[in-house]
Amino acid sequence: MKKIVALLGLCGLLTFALRPAQGADWKMDPAGSKLEFVATFEKTAAPGVFKEFDARLRFDPEKPSGSSLDVTVKVTSADMNIPDVNKEIRGKDWFDYAGFPQAEFRSTDLRRTEGNRYVARGTLSLKGVKQAVEVPFTWTGSADGAVMEGELTVKRGAFGIGTGEWAASNVIGADVKVRFKVKLRKAG
Amino acid sequence: MLRNTADSWGAPAKLFHWVMAALILAQIALGVMAASWRVSPAKLELFFWHKSTGMLILALVALRLLWRLANPTPALPSGMAAWERAAARLSHLLLYVLMIALPITGWIVNSASNIPFRIFWLVPLPAIVAPDESTAGLAALVHGGLFALLALVLAAHIGAALRHHFVKRNTVLIRMLPGTSRTP
Repeated sequence: MKKIVALLGLCGLLTFALRPAQGADWKMDPAGSKLEFVATFEKTAAPGVFKEFDARLRFDPEKPSGSSLDVTVKVTSADMNIPDVNKEIRGKDWFDYAGFPQAEFRSTDLRRTEGNRYVARGTLSLKGVKQAVEVPFTWTGSADGAVMEGELTVKRGAFGIGTGEWAASNVIGADVKVRFKVKLRKAG
Repeated sequence: MLRNTADSWGAPAKLFHWVMAALILAQIALGVMAASWRVSPAKLELFFWHKSTGMLILALVALRLLWRLANPTPALPSGMAAWERAAARLSHLLLYVLMIALPITGWIVNSASNIPFRIFWLVPLPAIVAPDESTAGLAALVHGGLFALLALVLAAHIGAALRHHFVKRNTVLIRMLPGTSRTP
């Protein structure tokens, strides 16, 4: 009996020791999370949001190597708060809801830059285009979870957002700011 | 002469009249083109210039009204019938009302549509009503109706000025032209 207990204990110890170094799994809390994008119209900010998106993360802020981040965005949940514009962005020239209803960002390369600042290098898939993108973020841990916050600039032209005559950037600017705040809870 | 007299317009009054006449004609062309263009960057550009010009007109009409109130208004020629005087007063009053009401209803359309806008890329235009689709639709309807009224009053105004000059042969048109500060 003692032997069995010892054996079980050893097994447990081994399992723990042999487990590869990796961070905890995190799940997004949609209620506390926000994904915004700010386009420009005649050099004036034109903000919008993606109402539906999800982030999954395996991350240890102290040991970011071996981490991974997986974000899916329901492109069709875009809302720019202007009825005419919301109608327009569905079309093929813009987001093409019918052809590309979902966007993704995947990274397995998360690094600390300094203090609580990190950068996730990965691939953004949007409207059928895959492009390497760097997503800088800050990490703020708390008792019941953590918050990831960051901002990056995306060139809409690289993803064919605004094609044909809309590709010109004098009326609708070339740069789109993407801002996110993701509230996370440890999963499991 | 800067100030108006009992029978002549001063230089500022003339400048206001002709600058705003040019702006209003340009504004009508921009508005008609913007409204009828298919959805395209060109349409947005037309609306941008239409809105910027509209806000410029609103600012100018405020200054113009102050100037008008601070100066005597040259008298209408003697020998005009009562209905002609009434028509002149009413059409001038309507022009002032429209120069204010058209930009303001346009402003309401822009606010209710929640469209971010900076006048000539410079001055952010604050919203005067909350975003609401039905408000935007109603204000656009009123804006269009006021434009139709403006077209009628402008036709009457220009027609009357030409009638004063060619039919009644008085100085009403001449005295608004630049460089005619002295009345004959």
